[in-house]
Amino acid sequence: TSDQTPFRIPLHFCFLLLHMSVFSQSFSPCGRFLAAGNNYGEIALFSLSAALSPDATALSQKPVLTFTAHDGPVFSLLSNDSQLFSAGNGEISCWSWSLWFLSFRSSLEIPEINAMIINPRDNSLVVGGGDNNIHILDLEHGVFKSVLQGHSDYIHCVSVREREAEILSGGEDGAVRMWDSRTGQSVHCVEIYKYESCARPQYGKWISCLTTDSDWMLCGGGPSLSLWHLRSLSPTSVFPLAGCQRQAAFYQDMILAVGEGPFVSHCLLGGEVKAQIPCTPQSLNTLQINANSTEHRVGLHSLTHLGYTIHTLPTGLGNMHYLQV
Amino acid sequence: MLANVSSQIAQQLLDFFKQYLKGCLIPAFAPIPDEVIRKRLLIDGDGAGDDRRINVLLKSVTKWCNSTGTPEEGFTQYQRMMGTLAQCEFSMGKTLMVYDMNLREMENYEKIYTNIEQSITSAHEKIAECKKEIQRAKRIRKNRQEYDALAKVIQQHPDRHETLKQLEALDKELQLLSRTKENVDAKLELRKKQFHVLLSTIQELQQTLENDEKSDNDDINQESPAENGE
Repeated sequence: TSDQTPFRIPLHFCFLLLHMSVFSQSFSPCGRFLAAGNNYGEIALFSLSAALSPDATALSQKPVLTFTAHDGPVFSLLSNDSQLFSAGNGEISCWSWSLWFLSFRSSLEIPEINAMIINPRDNSLVVGGGDNNIHILDLEHGVFKSVLQGHSDYIHCVSVREREAEILSGGEDGAVRMWDSRTGQSVHCVEIYKYESCARPQYGKWISCLTTDSDWMLCGGGPSLSLWHLRSLSPTSVFPLAGCQRQAAFYQDMILAVGEGPFVSHCLLGGEVKAQIPCTPQSLNTLQINANSTEHRVGLHSLTHLGYTIHTLPTGLGNMHYLQV
Repeated sequence: MLANVSSQIAQQLLDFFKQYLKGCLIPAFAPIPDEVIRKRLLIDGDGAGDDRRINVLLKSVTKWCNSTGTPEEGFTQYQRMMGTLAQCEFSMGKTLMVYDMNLREMENYEKIYTNIEQSITSAHEKIAECKKEIQRAKRIRKNRQEYDALAKVIQQHPDRHETLKQLEALDKELQLLSRTKENVDAKLELRKKQFHVLLSTIQELQQTLENDEKSDNDDINQESPAENGE
């Protein structure tokens, strides 16, 4: 998408680049490619093996393929074994990783799909939307199976608790709801901002990141990032991270969190922040762990423009690499 | 005598040549590659050294066989030729020893090479083991941290024994109170029944008194009409 000679780029293109935010990312099933979606509706593919190899040039850090996927921003990207799901403002598209064609486009209009996750138990796609509901799409037949209603404001994040067949969702209304995926009923509802240890009224009550490990749950956003024990529904540790966390993940024995602030935080389950790895952009939007490759582990991306950083974590801290969007 | 000596020398020369060939031209029947030719030219340039000595020896042998000088001269020439022959044999022996040494050095290097390969593979294995150990240790650490986090939450709640004791005490109190309640209820029932008996007896008495009064009145009324009727 950009010229080789920088001083020839037209001005409007520079503005576009300046205001580009990367909202979502997903690793390919083989672990060697990364797809990133930005706020202009484009998806860019990067080749990780080329960009992160020791003799990578500036050219190999540019995307190998860019295409326009949606009219609006691409808020969420998700991969399964052979397909890439992208969700924007109203529709879900499904692209095949091997042949790069659009294999499916959903029919239901769901405004502002912020989060998607695959429920492996019944091969369905759980979609959290701006209409305060969670829609479940059956991947075998391509039809929407059911709707989970209960949130009073739009949904930011969803997660699946595999062992107990539950879906967790966090939204702008500050509540984390647990749904039984079989009956579609809300099993629990926890309002995080009501707990004194986590609440940060100066930031609000919205929950922007949610991830679960079947027994434990991490959630944060307006309230501090906190670790919850799901059986007893009690907060066990609160992480002293300034700023609002946008995404968090469990990785081996650590917790990785990104959000406001130019760093990735590595925390221990006990509540202490072990390390904060600095990176270029001012704040980070998403965090993904590449489970399919042994070398290139974690990808992050940035709120603003040209930065798309990959953080490799073979052991411990690792180092940061930089890809051009 | 001259013929004998010359045949001896010829025989020796032949032997020497055979050994020379064996020692220095091992791949003599194979096509000599360029490298070898280049090396030999480098070592043994333009015929200086051994080759030159052999050529000179041959020439001197033919000259000596065809010489017509005095026997002393012939003898000195013969001595000189023997000396040259000895020199050639000496250098051949040296080259053979160098060759042996090279062979043994090669063996030594092969041994070291295999040793190093073995240690590389064992180091790889150790690395893999250590990686597995690290994963195990990380899992253990994660479990320990989860345990600690839960323990922290649990500590906040009161001790189970105390709660149980409190529960027992509350149970006893409850039982006591319920027994008291039963007693009071029973007493209430008894009193109720007693009052009921009392009230019903009173009513019966009242009824009987009324009846008596009524029958008295009736009697008086009956008597007076009877008196009036008379």
